Amino acid sequence: MRDFVIETTQLTKSYKGRPALRGLNLEVGRGQIFGFLGRNGAGKTTTIKTLIGLLKADSGTASVFGIPVTDADRSVKIRRRIGFVTEDKELYPYMTVEQILRFTRPFFPNWREDLEKRYLEIFDLPPKRKIPDLSKGMRSKLMLLLAISRGAELLILDEPTDGLDPAAIEDVLHELVALAEAEGTTMFFSSHLLSEVEMIADHIGIIDQGRMVVSDSLKDIKARYRRLRVVLEDPVELPTRWASCVEYVRREGKVVSMLVNGNVEEIIQQMQSMPGTTVESFPVTLKDIFLEQVRGK
Amino acid sequence: MLWYKGWLETRFKLLFGCGFIVFFFVSMSSIGVRGPAGLKAFVATAVICVAMLSILLPGAGIATQPSFQATKGLHGSMLFTLSLPVSRLRLVAVRAAIGWLELAAGIGALCCGMWFMFPVLRAGSTPKLMLLHLLVQLVCASALYFVGVFLTTFLDDQLRSWCSMILFGTLGWLSKRTPKVDALDILRALHENSPLLSGAVPWLTVAFSCAVVAIAFIGAVKIAQWREY
Repeated sequence: MRDFVIETTQLTKSYKGRPALRGLNLEVGRGQIFGFLGRNGAGKTTTIKTLIGLLKADSGTASVFGIPVTDADRSVKIRRRIGFVTEDKELYPYMTVEQILRFTRPFFPNWREDLEKRYLEIFDLPPKRKIPDLSKGMRSKLMLLLAISRGAELLILDEPTDGLDPAAIEDVLHELVALAEAEGTTMFFSSHLLSEVEMIADHIGIIDQGRMVVSDSLKDIKARYRRLRVVLEDPVELPTRWASCVEYVRREGKVVSMLVNGNVEEIIQQMQSMPGTTVESFPVTLKDIFLEQVRGK
Repeated sequence: MLWYKGWLETRFKLLFGCGFIVFFFVSMSSIGVRGPAGLKAFVATAVICVAMLSILLPGAGIATQPSFQATKGLHGSMLFTLSLPVSRLRLVAVRAAIGWLELAAGIGALCCGMWFMFPVLRAGSTPKLMLLHLLVQLVCASALYFVGVFLTTFLDDQLRSWCSMILFGTLGWLSKRTPKVDALDILRALHENSPLLSGAVPWLTVAFSCAVVAIAFIGAVKIAQWREY
């Protein structure tokens, strides 16, 4: 049996009758860097808040490190082992960088002073500066520093690079990958920036309308999905029904674009069986897959 | 370290409360307190200081920022607090305890100042009555303070302060306009019915205040535990 750090089964949650999660199944294995993708309102933050114990699910189960998140007392034990970067990057406005570090440190028995010093230097955070005087990017870095230094086994990062400039995003992502490699930390992070997810994640989950629509390793997803460009010699009628592996078909005159999820060879052969047809196969980006999944088939 | 957070949250409020007490003493010294009527007015005015502290200091340690202070979203630093490995009971209890200790210190300073700075008080009373007055002030103010703690579990700090002020105003209005029910009149126990002026401890009001403290605190903890953030 696989060792899952995060596991949810048929998780549902509604706000005043409006469903946010509709039977979410999620599995994040130990040591994975799991990119959690979805449109605004897809259920990403609701999932994260449920895992942290801030929201209570209506039905289904959710556990972190095998501990049910619904158990308030044991939820404290979960939080002792995780680092969390909130979506809004809000910290106490009456504290300085130094004070918030001093405040947070004693809560975590595995606090890593070495990581604190290292990232304080790398992120170039002024210890004496008050939090409201930090730029948004600096607050993001401070939140990351506070999450990383906890010595956490799991980092839950909600839009961790929000507010950072492109160079800083590159640096932060590099550091996160380095940390995962060096410490074996599991990372579960949501982001709107598909390029950054593609850069560091080894597993991807795409949530849409409260359901997980794709969840697999990025390598497998990319191997499975292909874009086909079919040029038809003669104006032929295309089939009205396709195999379930065909995610979309768009025709513009003689050119047909297809996104295929598995059984690529079979589809290529099917297209080539039409007289005078040329078929080209291209790899796809995560963006292609994401857009197709969230825009509807 | 929740104590440290609580102290940073309340230190300026405490300072403001202390400043108000000093202002009260200076004003009273310049006006002068003479005779039983003056003493009565003096004790009644001191209630404003107690009310000020009871309004300023409550907190539950969770929603500490009004929404307009948050740069994004409505929760301010609340999510960071709730992501700490601390139970909600501890969050509420520690913050409530810090505010209460500061309230006690403020009331202690007020009563000591009254006793040592105003000879008229020493002439017309005894140290025992002054101590009992201090005790009654503390218990009755605690009831008002813990109602504030209760409100903070679902209102942000700013909104809660306004609600506390409205509550005080309503209690004052009820105290004057409705038939006297001394046992339930916390405000009157702070001046007219206090041991300093009446010579007796309003035990029923003290008991009622203790009940309010217990109910408000248990209610605050239950709400904090039950609420979703």
